[in-house]
Amino acid sequence: MSAVIVKAMSDLRRRRLQVVVIFVTTLLAVATGTMALTLLSQTNDPFQIAFAAQRGAHLRVTFDGRTDPGTLAGTPSLVGAAAIGGPYRATPIQFQYGGHKYAAAAVGRDEPGGEVGQLVLVAGRWPVGDDEIAVTRSFADLSHVSVGETLKVVSVADAPVLTVAGEVIDIDQVRADISAQRAWVRTSAIDRLTATGGGYYLMNYRFASDPTSAQLSTAVETLRAALPPGSITGSINYLLVRSIFNVVNQVLIGILVAFSIFALVATVAIVANLVTGIVISAYREIGIMKAIGFTPLQVALVFVLQILVPAAAACLFGIPGGTILSQPLLASSSDALGLPYHATFSVLLDLVALGGALLIVTLAALLPALRAGRLKPAVVIANAAAPRGRSGRWIRRLASGLGLPRPLVLGVGDAVARPLRATLTAVAVFLGVATIVIALGETRHFADIYPYEAHVGPVDVVVSKSAVLTDPEAMRLFEAQPETERVVAETITNIVVPGIADPIPSVMYRGDSAALGYLVTTGRWFNGPGEVVAPKGLLRDAHLQVGDTFIASFRGTTVPLRLVGVVYDFAGGPGGHELMLDSSTVVPALADLSPSTYFVTLKAGSNVVLYVDRVAAAQPDQLEVQANTSGPTQLGMVSAVLLAIAAVIALMAVGGVFNTLLLNAREGARDIATLKALGMSPRQLIAMVATSAAFLALVGGVLAVPAGVQLDHVLLDLVSAFGGNDTPPSFYAALASWELIAILLAGVAVAMLAALIPGRWAARTNVVEVLRAE
Amino acid sequence: MSQLVVLKDVTKVYQAGITGALSGVSLTIENGEFTAIMGPSGSGKSTLLNLIAGVDRPTSGSVAVGGADLGTLGETALARFRRDHIGFVFQFFYLLPNLTALENVLIPAQLKGKVVAGRAEALLDELGIADVSDRYPARLSGGQQQRVAMARALINRPTLLLADEPTGALDTHSGDQVLELLRELNRDGQTILLVTHDAKIATRYAARIISVVDGKIVDDARLESPDRAASEVIRVRVAEMSS
Repeated sequence: MSAVIVKAMSDLRRRRLQVVVIFVTTLLAVATGTMALTLLSQTNDPFQIAFAAQRGAHLRVTFDGRTDPGTLAGTPSLVGAAAIGGPYRATPIQFQYGGHKYAAAAVGRDEPGGEVGQLVLVAGRWPVGDDEIAVTRSFADLSHVSVGETLKVVSVADAPVLTVAGEVIDIDQVRADISAQRAWVRTSAIDRLTATGGGYYLMNYRFASDPTSAQLSTAVETLRAALPPGSITGSINYLLVRSIFNVVNQVLIGILVAFSIFALVATVAIVANLVTGIVISAYREIGIMKAIGFTPLQVALVFVLQILVPAAAACLFGIPGGTILSQPLLASSSDALGLPYHATFSVLLDLVALGGALLIVTLAALLPALRAGRLKPAVVIANAAAPRGRSGRWIRRLASGLGLPRPLVLGVGDAVARPLRATLTAVAVFLGVATIVIALGETRHFADIYPYEAHVGPVDVVVSKSAVLTDPEAMRLFEAQPETERVVAETITNIVVPGIADPIPSVMYRGDSAALGYLVTTGRWFNGPGEVVAPKGLLRDAHLQVGDTFIASFRGTTVPLRLVGVVYDFAGGPGGHELMLDSSTVVPALADLSPSTYFVTLKAGSNVVLYVDRVAAAQPDQLEVQANTSGPTQLGMVSAVLLAIAAVIALMAVGGVFNTLLLNAREGARDIATLKALGMSPRQLIAMVATSAAFLALVGGVLAVPAGVQLDHVLLDLVSAFGGNDTPPSFYAALASWELIAILLAGVAVAMLAALIPGRWAARTNVVEVLRAE
Repeated sequence: MSQLVVLKDVTKVYQAGITGALSGVSLTIENGEFTAIMGPSGSGKSTLLNLIAGVDRPTSGSVAVGGADLGTLGETALARFRRDHIGFVFQFFYLLPNLTALENVLIPAQLKGKVVAGRAEALLDELGIADVSDRYPARLSGGQQQRVAMARALINRPTLLLADEPTGALDTHSGDQVLELLRELNRDGQTILLVTHDAKIATRYAARIISVVDGKIVDDARLESPDRAASEVIRVRVAEMSS
């Protein structure tokens, strides 16, 4: 056995460049794979883990403030709940912090624990006085509020000031960037924060086992039937919260797994290519080894060891590297869940990554190594060198027929002289180019999705109004600004839809709402009173289709509504229920409703900053005025990861091309020397090698671009499906034809750059030494 | 006759362990000559040929071919020089395995950007291998391969044809055919420099024999008749040197 090791080690010292190629390729693949494995293991339904740990509420119901709390305390037996939290008194509030205003639901709760919906304190302590408040960590992160800072409540006349006593994690609500948050005060503080008629009760129900959606709907219906009409003003269940939590994670993991597979396949292709090349270059040595007594297995082991040693070294760096690289993603994922982040390291997982990587590399090396073991010593010694690849004559003739200069024709021929090598290289290029197409495509999709998600596409300024300021006052202020071109007012209320147990949060617009940037995937945007649009999740659950008319109710008043379109909605998850309609549909019934937000579009060329400052200064306490800018999103984080991994796989593809050219140049040293002797200039030799690279990149790229586009569509459909949507056809064409061609040409150009080093080596071939060696 | 090749005090030193060095070699070859360079293995005869072909550079001294000082030429210019002035025939043919016989012949012309299919076919015809022009090297006999190599060497009408042990890998019959071809080419005015270790070949076909031993020219003989026996020539020369 020692002879095998001695021989393998001496070969490793001789083949330093190949060692480097194996090391780098394996390093990149292992790091990517470890990252994916770590994320997979840590993000596999993390919601459920946290939900169980914090005894999350399966069902959370809000009741009208006039409901008797004693009655509410008896409702668990009605629905078969095993435990409850509440009833808690709650009220919507608006507060000001750092020049911004925020909406929240203040919940009166005297301790963070309890049987349901336990809150985890991650900073500070629970409020002990009526002038203290606890906020979610998600909100604290978003608004940069810290423990000890003060919030001025502007939704009530005396504008009390609350000190942030603590930050908590609440598993029962989604992130602050998706939804307004709850905040907690002492129960005794609620009265002071409640505007006239604004209070309500909140109940958390937890069941013995996880109920289904139907069971939850039945529970809500049971409550509704048992309580006076209008008692239930809203409800939300854990399934919806979970789906919203999981959307980004599912997207990230799905794409990571796909890309990790790409990276591993590229590694297999490159390693197999490399070992085949080593076997070919060591043809005579194999004969000598066998002649002096190496068994076929020992010969094979020598070659496998030459791959395994640098691969194992790459694992030593790649696995910790992948683990470290996955930590920011895990932290982000924890943030998304509102969970505390702990650095994650699993010895078992790393061993799995190590074993898997070495197994894959060994398998890739084994076939050519076994082939080496089977070679007949007499034949290989007599032939000295492996037969040159002789395939691709037809393609060379084709190139010749096209009138290409001879060096280019020879380059094309060399590229495919060994079909297996050419195929493996093309596979690596294919994966690199396809990954780039997918990553760029998905990134573009995410960029497209964001404005639709924000629902404030071509809007310059977003203004939030406190309840104290009236709508006419706000409108007068906007109209007084010469830059104002269009104002769309938004009012939120709940609407009950037949077939859906919970009242549906509905967005009512006044003004040209079609310009807000909702993406309509089916049908059209509403044109006037009586028409509504909704996300697909609502259509599915309410068994509605575009064109259907249904009777909806607002606080007991019924109105016929006609569904005219389906909108793309990602953040709401697959169960997202929402209605969008013109405010004139409900104003006659709900005249007391006042818009809470205004989307203002300015005339072309207006100075947005000046406008924001002026409007904010006019009502500093009652208006929150912000320029419409898109901040970093979870999808932005996914995009960054995608692009980074795509770059890694593309780099591996470049390494694959480089490796092939190197092998070709080494095996073809005699031909190169001959060509030099016949008068081929250094530039012609470099052109010949570069043509080989360009041809392989072109073949891989031409196949990869359409395949990448198709895979991109599949992934986009998956992303849409995670959010419960159908992909709008307009989304598919993320990359223009010229961009796809540019990617292809860039791939060819990069491959030709990778050819420069082998090309220069070929150009510097010492004719005398090479031909003397023959 | 004009001087085609002029070597002045050429020395070539290789790294330790590599034989074939030259030491202070000066030599002139006239246009139209058929010169054989003889010597034992490792004597430096192939090194001499490589320096004249411009595929190797001397450690010191100068090599001029056709008036061009090869020491002043860069790699690209040397490649052009070989393309334009040198025809190379190797012991092991060194045909490109992926090209047919005709394609191999055409390579040097195509590197110059010339289309000379007619001349290539004519050369193959003259060398008696027109019927195998579309065959790949692996399907040719050794003799056929060497004739293809000769056609390739001649395609650009080189001023100097270099042949390094051209019969070394051939059987006697094929070797004789190749050498006859070389003699015919020389009769047509082609300058030929032949490297061989076989005295019989040198004396039978060359008009001038340069003997190289341990990197030095030890003998330079112009034969009166190419039909004289090798032993006779050597004896004559040794006698001359002794006197």
